[in-house]
Amino acid sequence: MRERLRFLDSGMLLPMVLMVIMGTLTVYSAGRGTSQSGLWLKQSLWNALAFMVLAGVAAINPMRTFRSALMLYLLGCMSLAAVLVAGHRIGGAQRWLVLGHLTWQPSELMKWLTLLFVAHRLGTRPPRDVTGWDLAGASMLVFFPMLLVLKQPDLGMAISFLPILLLIPLLKGLRARWVIAGLVAVSLLGFFSWRQVLKPYQKQRVMTFLDPAADLQGKGYQINQSRIAIGSGGLFGQGFTSGSQTQLNFLPVKTTDFVFSVWAEERGFLGVLLALGLFGTVIMRILDTARVAKTASETYFCVGAAGIIALHLLVNVGMVIGLLPNKGIVLPFFSAGGSSTLSYFLGLGVVMAVRYRAKMK
Amino acid sequence: MELQQHSLLQKRIGIMKTVAWFMILWLVLAYARVQIWKGREMQKLALAQAVKTRTTPAPRGLIFDRNTNKLVDNRRALHLVIQFEDLPRDSGQIEALAAALQTDPDQLKRRVVAIRQAAGNRMLVLQDNLDDASLARAEVLRARFPFLSIEVAPRRVYLGEDLAGHALGYVGEVTPEELAKEPGRYQLGEIIGRTGFEAARNDRLKGVDGQRRILVDYLGREVATYGVQEAKPGRSVYLTLDAGLQTTLKEAFGQVQGAGVVLDLRDGGILALYSSPSYDPNVFLNRLTQDQVGKYWNNPDRPMLNRVTQGRYPPGSTFKLLVAIAALEKGIITPSTTFTCAGHKSFYGRDFRCDAVHGTLNLVQAIAQSCDIYFYELGARLDVDDIYNTAKKYGLTELTGVDLPHEVRSRVPSRAWKREVKKEKWYAGETISVSIGQGANSLTPIALARFYAMIATHGKLLTPHLLYGVRQENSNDIDLYQPPAPRETGLDSGIWATLDEGLYQVVHSGTARESAIPGLTMVGKTGTSQVTSFVDKAHYATLSKKLRDNALFAGYAPRENPQIAFAVVAENAGFGASSAAPIARKLCQYWFIDRMKKPLPPPGAKLPDAFRLDPDQAGEDEPPR
Repeated sequence: MRERLRFLDSGMLLPMVLMVIMGTLTVYSAGRGTSQSGLWLKQSLWNALAFMVLAGVAAINPMRTFRSALMLYLLGCMSLAAVLVAGHRIGGAQRWLVLGHLTWQPSELMKWLTLLFVAHRLGTRPPRDVTGWDLAGASMLVFFPMLLVLKQPDLGMAISFLPILLLIPLLKGLRARWVIAGLVAVSLLGFFSWRQVLKPYQKQRVMTFLDPAADLQGKGYQINQSRIAIGSGGLFGQGFTSGSQTQLNFLPVKTTDFVFSVWAEERGFLGVLLALGLFGTVIMRILDTARVAKTASETYFCVGAAGIIALHLLVNVGMVIGLLPNKGIVLPFFSAGGSSTLSYFLGLGVVMAVRYRAKMK
Repeated sequence: MELQQHSLLQKRIGIMKTVAWFMILWLVLAYARVQIWKGREMQKLALAQAVKTRTTPAPRGLIFDRNTNKLVDNRRALHLVIQFEDLPRDSGQIEALAAALQTDPDQLKRRVVAIRQAAGNRMLVLQDNLDDASLARAEVLRARFPFLSIEVAPRRVYLGEDLAGHALGYVGEVTPEELAKEPGRYQLGEIIGRTGFEAARNDRLKGVDGQRRILVDYLGREVATYGVQEAKPGRSVYLTLDAGLQTTLKEAFGQVQGAGVVLDLRDGGILALYSSPSYDPNVFLNRLTQDQVGKYWNNPDRPMLNRVTQGRYPPGSTFKLLVAIAALEKGIITPSTTFTCAGHKSFYGRDFRCDAVHGTLNLVQAIAQSCDIYFYELGARLDVDDIYNTAKKYGLTELTGVDLPHEVRSRVPSRAWKREVKKEKWYAGETISVSIGQGANSLTPIALARFYAMIATHGKLLTPHLLYGVRQENSNDIDLYQPPAPRETGLDSGIWATLDEGLYQVVHSGTARESAIPGLTMVGKTGTSQVTSFVDKAHYATLSKKLRDNALFAGYAPRENPQIAFAVVAENAGFGASSAAPIARKLCQYWFIDRMKKPLPPPGAKLPDAFRLDPDQAGEDEPPR
């Protein structure tokens, strides 16, 4: 057992385990008295499974993992295609594969598989020799699964693929013309998608973000209730299982997208500081790993991993307080959900493996 | 990795770390702003939507008759409502709801707006008094429209049904007009007495609404209750009515239309008051169907009219006593003055007829035989203003002051009245008609009863009233109502003796002798008043029912020691002696004889429960299952 555990990095694992415990308690509190009252137990089982997967992956040499990257990427794309063909439909979105009693959301894992493959491809040659075409090709590798995810439709999930593109400024620096070109592209894309791609409910979310007070009972309801929940937490919080917004169900989707509001209401600003501090610790640890990584691929993977976690943190925690538009996006370690928990642990397992090899010298 | 490249990557990763920290700092500041700077404000918002104040409608006071027979009860009924804070703003939702309820969407929208704009957090009642089937339907609706809720509220039950519909009246929601008329008196959605005693004594019957602070979840469902301020039920009220006498009166009328009222001569309390056709007040607690509107409101028989206080009838011969008083007081005749009746006589160039040839009569005989010629002679010697002033002196020209809404004033004509209302001068010939209670004469039955009560009490003008007493809040004792003191009219005792003798002779040997009760001296005067112009009685049979004469009988009993006075009008029933007097006879038979023999009959189905009068239990009957 000790043999296996030596691959684990306690500096990263400790905040992760703490957050998972905090998250599961929050899911328990949020699920009380609703149809989700047993969800915390299910989540605990997923957590245990995720921990074992983490321990297993951390023990594998990253080089071996990278060697199967292409195959994994192709398998991931196929699973996304399978979702579109035979996926399970909940509330107008087809995002899930059903295997017996389990529902699996392949897009969660696909983020990491895409990161793995892109990092592997770019890392096979020295950073200086990476051409613009290589980067364009890598971007295509990111955009393809993104499009499949958008088709489900799942805008929030599609956006969480974007941090993989952080590798471009990592390699080439942040150049003014790139930034301008990027902004132009984004605004063109935004205009086009507003007219053509975005579904009415997505447009509503954007409108709600722009003016949350316009319709408090309708579209702005979720964000408004979430802000009230967070605010009424105050400095010390209402106490575990004592948040009125949570317990009286004013807070929507409180075990997944808005789980952080529950945490903020019941644990207050101090709890928020603790959670954000732990997230910061994990992200820094990943970026430190990126610095010490032995190969370029490993560095790229770690930077991408930090990007994915940071993006989820920013978008989810910013969304529930109304800083960012209401997108269906989960908070790692807090939100209930097997696919995402397992995927994050898997991804961070690879990071731990990288750190272990780097330390071994 | 090459060293240069490596250090560049290191640098860029360092930048990323800084960016990540700034990102986290930004989030920390955003949370600090909402949780610390705005924390109190958000806590208030959270409380505001989770803690609601709900009004608990207070049950109205129960109504009993003078013998504690329960006439009006409360039970708990379920209503489909929208609470104030749940009122939908989305017009699409309102339309969908209106479609589901099969009501007019525009009307529903107006009601929603009215409730929202009004103060006092009133709820909007969509359907009241749900039975089992509509409760099931309401629950289905609630699943579709989560802003609906089901509220328990007290509801009136009129146990006697149509026994005393006009006396009791019924309750209903306050109308926008009433709200606008007296701002601040009522709250929107308040249940108030609409008519009858319920309306007249609304302030005594209504309680004080309670308040309940409750914790609700996001669907407005009650999760917990704290801070209950109990509703204070209205105090139980006792009426002067006697359920047994009232039942007798009702049964005596049967299908006959008309009105009857019995007064207690001690204080003017109304022992029975019945207007036929009556109505069942329970019907008016619900929204009326089209059929019911036709049956009650657009019916030519006018069942909604309280004929006792709002129906005016030519008094016919029952008016002759007033004319006699006028003539005696004026000194035109003495009790022994005689006139001769030849069956008809000409006055002012017109031939006036009597229904028989009575020969020579004095005043007592003229009253007993109801001879018209005798009173024509008086009319020819009196000015109409003499009659009017006498009527005024003895209370016939004023409202009786009965505690029922919308009482109509009796009309005794005068020169001034004709000049003002008809814009014509008075013709002396009209006085002839007035002297036998025809012409422009028009009295309400209650005013007529009060006039006969005045005679029975040697000149006391009583105030008829239904309120007997109000039960004290914390005991079974009754605070008795003190009616206004009777007004002394100064009726001369000599005149009184003549009138009393005349009325005695009516029943003893005169027109109503068939209605005499052995062992009891009921006295009174018959009257037959023409609905149309004078028609020879030979043609009577050919007249349609509507045109037939109204029959009247007014008097008191027993003669030696009068206890009750009464007036009975039977519409289109023919002679007073044959139609109205028997009703009065049944009243006296019950009141003085049958009542003493047997226990009180209950009103409706409910047995009287005279000895268990717990105000808390009274309103707490089990709701329907």
